[in-house]
Order: sequence, then structure tokens, then C-alpha cells
Amino acid sequence: MDLLSNGTGLTAVVFLPLISALILTAIPKSQEFLIKGFALVSSIVTFFISALLLPQFDFSNADKLQLGNKISWIKSINSNYEIGIDGISLPLLILSTFITVLAIIYSIEHLPEPKSPKGFLSLILVLETGMNGTFVALDLILFFVFFEIVLLPMYFMIGIWGDKTVRTVAGLKNQIETRLYASIKFFVFTLFGSAFMLLGFLGLYYRGGRTFSIPELIELGTNGAFTGTFAMLVFAVLFLGFAVKVPMWPLHTWLPDAHTAAPTVGSVLLAAILLKLGSYGFVRIAIPILPEQAKAWAPAIAILSAIGIIYGSLACLAQTDLKRLIAFSSVGHMGFVMLGIASLTPIGINAAMIGMVAHGVITGLLFFLSGSMAHTYHTRDMGRLGGNMKLLPKTGALLGFTAMASLGLPGLAGFWGEFMALLGAFNPLDGLNLTVFRGSMIAGAIGTVLTAGYLLWMLQRVNLGEPSEEWNEMELHDADGYELAAWIPLVILTILIGVFPKLIFGATNDAVVSLLSKAFGG
Amino acid sequence: MILDLILPRKSKYYVAAFALFGTLASLAPLVIQWATYSDPIYTFGNSFVVDKFSIILKGLFIIITYLTFLLSINFIESDKFYQGEYYYLLLSSLLGALVVSSSRDLLTIFIGIELASTPMFLLSGWKKGDRKSNEGAIKFFLLGVLSASLILYGFSLIYGLTGQLVFADISAYLLANSLGSSPVLLLSSILVISGIGFKISVVPFHSWAPDTYEGAPLPITAYLSVSSKATGFVALIVLLTKVFESSGQSWGVILAIVAGATMTLGNLVALQQTNPVRLLAYSSISQAGFIIAPLAVSGITGNYQDGIFASVTYLIIYAFMNMGAFLSVHLFTNFTNTDNFYEWGGIAKHSPLTGVLTTIFFFSLAGIPPLGGWFAKFVVFRSLLSTGEIVGISLAIIGAINAVIALVYYARISKVVWMDELKNPEEEKTFEFQNPLKVVGAFTVLITFVAGIFPGIFSYLGEVSSIFFGN
Repeated sequence: MDLLSNGTGLTAVVFLPLISALILTAIPKSQEFLIKGFALVSSIVTFFISALLLPQFDFSNADKLQLGNKISWIKSINSNYEIGIDGISLPLLILSTFITVLAIIYSIEHLPEPKSPKGFLSLILVLETGMNGTFVALDLILFFVFFEIVLLPMYFMIGIWGDKTVRTVAGLKNQIETRLYASIKFFVFTLFGSAFMLLGFLGLYYRGGRTFSIPELIELGTNGAFTGTFAMLVFAVLFLGFAVKVPMWPLHTWLPDAHTAAPTVGSVLLAAILLKLGSYGFVRIAIPILPEQAKAWAPAIAILSAIGIIYGSLACLAQTDLKRLIAFSSVGHMGFVMLGIASLTPIGINAAMIGMVAHGVITGLLFFLSGSMAHTYHTRDMGRLGGNMKLLPKTGALLGFTAMASLGLPGLAGFWGEFMALLGAFNPLDGLNLTVFRGSMIAGAIGTVLTAGYLLWMLQRVNLGEPSEEWNEMELHDADGYELAAWIPLVILTILIGVFPKLIFGATNDAVVSLLSKAFGG
Repeated sequence: MILDLILPRKSKYYVAAFALFGTLASLAPLVIQWATYSDPIYTFGNSFVVDKFSIILKGLFIIITYLTFLLSINFIESDKFYQGEYYYLLLSSLLGALVVSSSRDLLTIFIGIELASTPMFLLSGWKKGDRKSNEGAIKFFLLGVLSASLILYGFSLIYGLTGQLVFADISAYLLANSLGSSPVLLLSSILVISGIGFKISVVPFHSWAPDTYEGAPLPITAYLSVSSKATGFVALIVLLTKVFESSGQSWGVILAIVAGATMTLGNLVALQQTNPVRLLAYSSISQAGFIIAPLAVSGITGNYQDGIFASVTYLIIYAFMNMGAFLSVHLFTNFTNTDNFYEWGGIAKHSPLTGVLTTIFFFSLAGIPPLGGWFAKFVVFRSLLSTGEIVGISLAIIGAINAVIALVYYARISKVVWMDELKNPEEEKTFEFQNPLKVVGAFTVLITFVAGIFPGIFSYLGEVSSIFFGN
């Protein structure tokens, strides 16, 4: 298996989906079975390769970048094809390849209208290349390219297969289909952030002696190469780029629209992986390269996260649309992730890491369930749903389980991220303003209560009670084999991570500790 | 060594095949020149040069003209126009462009610029019966003549000041007599920038472009917006860096303002267009802002290498993706017989291939990785920020905002083509995608992807061509 060690394995994980997508476009439309089969096989192979990397990965040196390579890419600007993974990126990479497999399994029988499996599946695979690439890239330009590659497939996924309901948008004269509005909003918001992020990368490049290499820049950054107004401006633009993606309040407004409009699989991938690109960017790039600024900005990030948590939960309480509720819950959960990151302590950032994975698994599952229910009932209006447990017992049971996981029930995956993020905020890095952080912690704690509140209320409205009469005439299908095949692994994962959080911490802890000790000493 | 200049002239034999062959054949001497290249070779008393900069740009001009021919074949045949004249005029324009990239004295470059643009006056009015075509051609002609006189006036001032024609002699004279900050020189540079500004349609000299683009036959529009523009840029680069180098501080600021205004205005107006050709016209105005921005900043900082590296790289990548964008517009306009792209709802279903092409080219113009356009934008930002100079930073911020605005209208075309409902779903219509056009499509897509995924190749071209402008 030495074959995988010197970057080949990672390169395969990144580019295999892209190549498969290209091959997919060459298969004639009529061969639907072949198209689906090929997409599934290629995603499974990709996952398999990423899993094969596990035994190769040296966990005792999880703080070191491993299995990577560095090849000259764009010589004239000294940008290289530099890849590698450490304990921070490994769990996210595996999550990404894993969720893609589930997304494709689900799509086999549940393609959104208009069908066209060829286009849909190849977009998923292109998306996977962007996601995996972002997690392994160690060169700022390479990172930027992968970070942006995800935009196009997601734009088309929302725009073509999205929700066709017509709605009014404040400021627009004519009514517009949700999918069209949401897709361009998603695109413009993200591009706005990343266009400025690119300027920040260039700033680092010139100050850092013309290098885009992230490890080299971290080395420089921890030795105090970037200071003063320059560093402040660069952190500001990086913040903009990543915070839009996370999304942090008040840059979150694209998210509920995009999530609600996206087809089920689109929402799953968006929630499970795409949002993590932003928080991963903070941990991988912004904090280690600009530690001083990270410290200066941390209170602001903590406050914004706390607002995000409270705001997200309150917004959830006001929703009638099931999918929109889950979308807003993402704002709250990502608030916990960012609060953990802002504390700049090993506990906090470990919390963020496990929070990212847990949110990916749990919210991914929630979107699967809500998407499937919306498909069955043809409505997402919680006022009309009800008695789901009686109508669709399997889906209902899973929804109950996942909601419990999402509200942070101890023993399930969601617990660790929330609990430890609060712990991190209670005792942040020395020198950070205690009042601000403890205040944020209290806000976060209130947020957990509100989270429990809206999720239980959601369960009450959707799962419990007597089914409304309108469903009597309809033939409702409970979860089928493909759906269960996509969902059960996520359930298992939720329990596993909940019971053995070491699955994640074992990989991340050393890397997080070393990152912080390099950046802030001690 | 100047065989590449002679060959295209031979193809006066009014035959498409010969024109195509001649254009392609004229690439051969370029390749030989490149392979055997050692030092710049000056001929005709230093007024004509063969260096890597000129070889690369000549290659670009020839390939673009070749693609224009391919685009034109069906159009010309279907309308029974004067084939011979058409090809002859285009080839003359190509010759002008080739002369510009090699010329190193005032007279030669002027002849080159005019030789490149004069045939376009005729070609843009090619659709004789069409009022829009006539209107566009007249506007283009009048402003073209005005711009020629501005350039000439600017040149005469320099000649009056220095008594020299050859660039090298002029800058030597200026240096020797320390005339770098002379107001006459500044006036002359403003005149030249204005004159060439018409050719490359930067704000405030852009108003002819949308009308002319709309009226001209589509292949000619593509040529105008790519090759004609490129000729202007090359002339501007050469003149500003070789003649007006010493007053870089002053023209740099002027050009920076022009660049910022061009990007922004072009974009804002493009947002409101319903005609795809006018949209591309405004988009190409905005793109022109991106191309001259690095040049402007390099004038201020004196760091010409980075600036020209960025401008040339952008120019090369832009040329191909824009050509491709015109191709897809050409296909869809012919298919639907309407020039309001909002009526194109869902036509990607008729030809998914063209739909994909449209998406690729328009998003490449918007600068979305992994398509070539991102790298073009990236090198521009890179050179703008290279010295941390305030003008550069401001232009970079303006550029970043514009990149986002531009996305809205570039994405709109894809939205209409893929996401809107088909108007007459039952309608059976065959989609025509002729073979020569397929060649153009394949070639431009290839370049767009290669430039996006392995930008090293293109940045290499930009880099070697910039070396000759180092100090």
C-alpha cells in the first residue's frame, strides 16, 4: 500500500470523482442504469481509497502533515500542487467522501424533478472534487480553486432541481421562483466573500516572500512576520471569505434560502460539507497564519457566534417550514462551532472539530428526512403535517432520534460539540476578555435550551398528534431500502461518535494542540 | 524571418480554403522563430523587431483570425456575400495587427494600427440592407477616423519634441535632455491614450462599441472584440512602455482612473442588457478595464514586468474565452431567431452541448475556477497588489467588487438557458452545429480548461513576453 503514501492516494481521492463525472457525461442518456451504477461505484471507490488512507496515517504524529506531496504547478507565481492531511483535515475528508456515497445511494431512487440522472450525478461528483480538494490543499491558490469549484455544481443543483414554488422577494417587483432566487443569492454571497479572500491571499504572498505554501506561511506567521494594519486587513478579508461560507451572523442570509430551495441531496451536501469549508478555513489558514489577529478578533467572533446561536434558535421557533427550520438550526450549530474556534483553546477547537463532523452527520440526516417527507407529503408546512409517527413510522422514529441528537443529548454525537464549545468559552485563551467569553457562553447555554425547545416543538408538531384528514386518501410510502441504506449509516455514526468521541479527538487533538502551541506559545 | 508577414497576403486568391491554409501556414515561421530564438532581432533601422513578445502576440493574432474564418464560413456561404473581399479584408486587418506587435517606431506602428482597423470599417457594415449594421459602421468609421487623428497628433508632438521616430531613440533623447516631465510629453501621452482608447473601447471612448457590435456580422463582432481590441492593447503597451516610459507617473494615474471607470461602467450597463451581443459588448468593455489596470499600476510603480505579465496573460486567455462566448451566442441566436436572450428559456434541452459550452465560456468570463478566466483575473490582482501601492490596492478592490457584479449577468445567461421553462416544448427543430464551428468550440473549450487547470503554460507565455519590458 505504499502506492498511496506519496500523495497518490490523496490525489486519487480528489480527482477520481472529477474524472468519473467526465466519463459520466460520455455515457448516453438512455443507459440510466449504467449511469447510476457508475456514479455509485466511483463514489464508493473514492470512499474506499480515503478509508485505506487511515492505516497509512500515522496517528502518533497526527500534528504533522502526512501522505502529501508537492509538485510544481504554476511556476511563474510559485504556486505548487501541495497536498497533505493532518489530524484536522482527516476526519473532514472521510466525512466528505462518506456523505457523497450516501447522497448518491439516495439519489438512485429519489431523483428530484426534472430527472436527468446524468447531469445531477455528475454535478455531485464535481462537487466532491471541490470538497475533498479543499480539505487536502496546502497551497493558498490550490485551496482557493477548490473552494470555488464547489460553487458551480451547487448553483446548478439548486437552480435546476430546486424548489419551484413562486415567492415574493423584498425589493423585487415580480415574483420569482425560489430556486432561481436562492441559487444566484448563494453564488453572489459566496463569491463576494472569496473575491476579497483572494486579495488577502495575495497580501500574504507578497509579505511572506512570494510563497503560497500554507505550512511555510504558518511558519512565518508564528514567527511574527505579519503584523500591524496589514495583518488586520488580511484577517478582515479572510474573515469575510470564511464567515460567509460558515455562515456567521449577519452574513448567513443566503443559507436558509439555499437550503430550503435545494433538492434534498443538495441540502445534505451543503449542510454536511460545504459549510465546513468555512470553519475549516479558519482553523487551517486564518488562525495559524495570523495568530495575533486571531487573538484580536476572537472576542468579536465570539459575540457574533453567540448572536448566531440565539438568533438561529429564535428564528427556528418562528418557522412553519420544516426545511427552513433545519436550515436555521444550522446557523445555530455553526455558531457553536465558531464559538469553540474563537476560544482559541484546545478544548474549544477540538469541540469545533467534533462539532463540524457531528453537525455534518446529524444535520445531513435531518435534511435527508425532511426532504423525503416533503416528497411524500408534497408539503413542508408543519401546520399540515402531524401524526407522522403513525403515518410513516420508520421515518418518524428516525426523525425523533435525529432531533434528539441535534439538540445535544449526551451519548449522541451532537453533545460533545456544544458542551465543549461552552467549556472552551468559559475558559478561553489567556489574555482574551473573560467577560465577553463568559457572556457568550451564557448566551450559548441559553441557546442550547432554545434549541431543545424548537426541536421538541418541531417533533410535537410533525411526529406526534393525530394525522390530519387530508392524508387519509393519500397513499403514503414510508422509507424504502435506498433511503434506509443512506440513513442507517448516519444513525450508527451518530451513536458511535457520541459514545466514543475519541474517534474524532484521537485524530484532531494532537494537531489542535500543536497548532495552538505554535501560534500562541506554551 | 518576416515570412509570416508575406504569407497571408498571398491568399488574395479569394478562396476560403486558401485563406484558412495561408493563416495556418503562417504559424510555421513563428514556430521556427520561437525554436531558433536567441536575442531580439532588429531590422529596418531598428523600427521592426522580432522578440518573444511579438512572436507570442503574432501567434495569438493568427490563431484568432483562423478561428474567425472558421466562424465565418457558413455565414458567408449562406448569404452569398463577396467571399473573396471578406477574407481579403480580414487578412489585411491581421497583417496590421502583426505589424503592430513588431513595430518599434512611430510611423510603422501607426500604419499597423490603421491597417488593422480600416478593413473593419467595411466589414462591420457588411450586412448592407440592415439599418443597424449601417448605423454601427458609420459610428465606427467616424470615431475611428477621429481616433486616428488623435493618435497622429500625439505622435507629431513627440516628433516635434524629440525629432526622432524610433522608440529607442526617442526615449534616449528624452532621458538625455531630462524631458520626462515635459507637459508636451504628457499631452502627447493623453492624446495617444485617447486615440487608442477608442480602439479598445474604454470609458469614456466606448460608446460606439455596442452599436457596432450589434450591427456587424457575428464573426466580425467576435473578431472586433478580440483581435481588434488586442491590437489596440499591444499598441498601447508598446507605446506607453517604450516611448512614454519616463512620464509613467502621470499616465499611470490617468490610465488607472480609466481602468476603474471602464470596469465599473461596463459592468453596470451590461446588467441591463437583453441582447446577448450587446451584453458581450459591455462585458468586453469591462474586461478591457481589467486588462489595462495592471498596465496603469506598472506605470506608476515602474514595475513593468509584473504589469505586462498580467496584461498579456489576461489578453491571451480572454481572447479564447470571449471567442467561445460569441460562438455560443451565434449558435443560439441562429437557432432561435431572436436576439433577446430572455426568450431563450430552456433551449439547452435542444442542444445540451451548446448549453454546456455557453456555461463554460460565460462562467469563465466571470472568473470561476477551474475555468481559465479565474487565472486571468488572478494575475491581474496579483500585479495590482505587487507593490502595495495605494492606486493598485484601490483598483484591486474595485476589481473584486466588479467580479461579483459581473457574475450576476454572466450567470443570467446560463440561468435562462438551463433553468427557465422551454417556451414551445412540442416544437421539433433541428439544432444546427456545423463542423467548422465545432472546431472553434473544441479549440476554445480546450484552451479555457487548460488555462484554468494548468495555468502554468499561459503564465509562461505572459512571463517571457514581459521580460523584454524589464528595465
